[in-house]
Amino acid sequence: MNAEELDETYSMLSEAIGRVGPGRAPLFLATLSLALLARQPSSEDALYLVAQAERLALT
Amino acid sequence: MSALNRALPEYVPVLIAGGGPVGLTLAALLGRYGVECLVVEADPSYCEGSRAICISRRSQEIMGWIGADKPLVEKGLPWTGGRSYFRSTEVLRFSMPSDPTERFAPMINIQQFYVEELAHRATQVTTPNADVHWSSRVVDVEQRADAVHVTVEATGGERRVVRANWLVACDGGRSTVRELSRLALEGMQYEGRYVIVDIEQATERTVERLAWFDPPSNPGSTILMHRQPDNVWRIDYQVADDEDPVEAVKPENVLPRVESHLRMIGESAPWKPLWISIYNAKCLTLNDYRHGRVLFAGDAAHLVPIFGVRGLNSGLDDAGNLAWKLALVVQGRASAGLLDSYSSERVHATRQNIAYGAKSTEFMAPPHAGFRLMREAALRLASEDTTVRSLINPRQSTPIEYSDSRLNIPSDDRNARPRAGDVAPEALVQGRHLTALFGAGFVGLLFSDRPRSALKERGAIEYGVARLDVWRVSRTAVGKDTNALVDESGEAWRRYAAVEGSFVLVRPDGYVLGRWIDPSWGIIDTALARFRSRPNTEDETRAPALAQDER
Repeated sequence: MNAEELDETYSMLSEAIGRVGPGRAPLFLATLSLALLARQPSSEDALYLVAQAERLALT
Repeated sequence: MSALNRALPEYVPVLIAGGGPVGLTLAALLGRYGVECLVVEADPSYCEGSRAICISRRSQEIMGWIGADKPLVEKGLPWTGGRSYFRSTEVLRFSMPSDPTERFAPMINIQQFYVEELAHRATQVTTPNADVHWSSRVVDVEQRADAVHVTVEATGGERRVVRANWLVACDGGRSTVRELSRLALEGMQYEGRYVIVDIEQATERTVERLAWFDPPSNPGSTILMHRQPDNVWRIDYQVADDEDPVEAVKPENVLPRVESHLRMIGESAPWKPLWISIYNAKCLTLNDYRHGRVLFAGDAAHLVPIFGVRGLNSGLDDAGNLAWKLALVVQGRASAGLLDSYSSERVHATRQNIAYGAKSTEFMAPPHAGFRLMREAALRLASEDTTVRSLINPRQSTPIEYSDSRLNIPSDDRNARPRAGDVAPEALVQGRHLTALFGAGFVGLLFSDRPRSALKERGAIEYGVARLDVWRVSRTAVGKDTNALVDESGEAWRRYAAVEGSFVLVRPDGYVLGRWIDPSWGIIDTALARFRSRPNTEDETRAPALAQDER
């Protein structure tokens, strides 16, 4: 994905979070995360991303 | 500078409402193209406060067309990139395309009142063509078939009707001409507000764009800093959604935040505030910049978000696009329809600028909870994952292509870039920058390593701004050929994707009109014909135009 496509994806994702609303946002993001993690080449790659997100969420 | 002792004329071919940077640059350009114009400005002099401070490379080129580039660059502070921080961590370092052969830096910072002064001085060079009246404002506009009648009120309430063939509204975001024409900007605005503060403080810091998200000095806020000439800092910071805008600009609320941030970044020299203002991002435009004999340019035509500096820079591009077309129409060399291409090209540019500006605004002033949450995520992730850093990039102003312009001439060389509608690229050839050839008339760049006498028209002055200067760009020695430039490194050939015999025809505003390989003189002549009608007394400027209510 190039920078322009990333930009577009970012906006679309932001809009979708806005549409589902704060109550459903965690479920939306969990669904999305699981779909993306299932596309990782290995569990090692997936777990690295999970650990990174957990660490950053606590900052 | 006072207009009090000078009477307004009864008639002028072009009346420009608004003596800001766009109106004055347009006046200076028209003056150079031999068109008489009158500028009326409501204020007594140049603007207060720094206002638009980032002047793009393209705008520097346009200022060059009126001979103002040298003092502009001497006074301004050049920069090529910047850095962004999340709290105390650097999350982005960006640089704009730049190389040592460039004529101008990608951006310079300079207070708007200096740009106005330089453009005004340029109008004085072209005197008597361009006449500027201060403290004079438009109070009524009446479009008639053969002219537009503009009532101007000078200081003291004295009114005079000035008859003009064309009225150009460059009177800013709250345009009086737009209001009198019963036209409204359309689009949307963002809620997020930014306070803008100028302070005077000595500093040795590098000139670059600095941004902080959620800095320790002002938790939860976003802060931008730019250096300006005369030891001035521009500081923009976002205020909370529930903060009252009137309270937000009071010095007692502004100064402690500024002090806290200066302390955080280690700027400890004494400082004082110069100017405080408040801003929210707007994406607004007219749908048409021509309404009969009234044309709109700059903020009077469109308001774009501040992020990415597309406001003044797009206004100067409006002036550059309009000036040569208006000159040809006023001089009877082109039909008034040429002005419709001003509208379509620049409305297209505005829509592009709004799209980019909206993207920047979504990051700088997130419009709702979805964007706020994603920004929190992007800033955290950017501290360790470089692939998402581009999201923080401010997407600075760049010239917009007119890919679908009706003026573009279909090419027999259609895969080559630049193509018709593109900005003609810069190249340093034999110590001359190609862009320095633009801005006065049409330019033909003939890429050929051998002389071609058939395409040698040069400086046909009688055509005014529709004259054509042909330059041969050769990779080999050119002997005594004075219209030839040696492109020793082949850089110009590469940037223009040229082959032997490529001919690129460039408009007076530096955009490519068409390109061919080995064209006959007849082809070039035909391409220019619509800009070269013979002036006559029944010229188009006097032809009946649509009444205002018909549009």
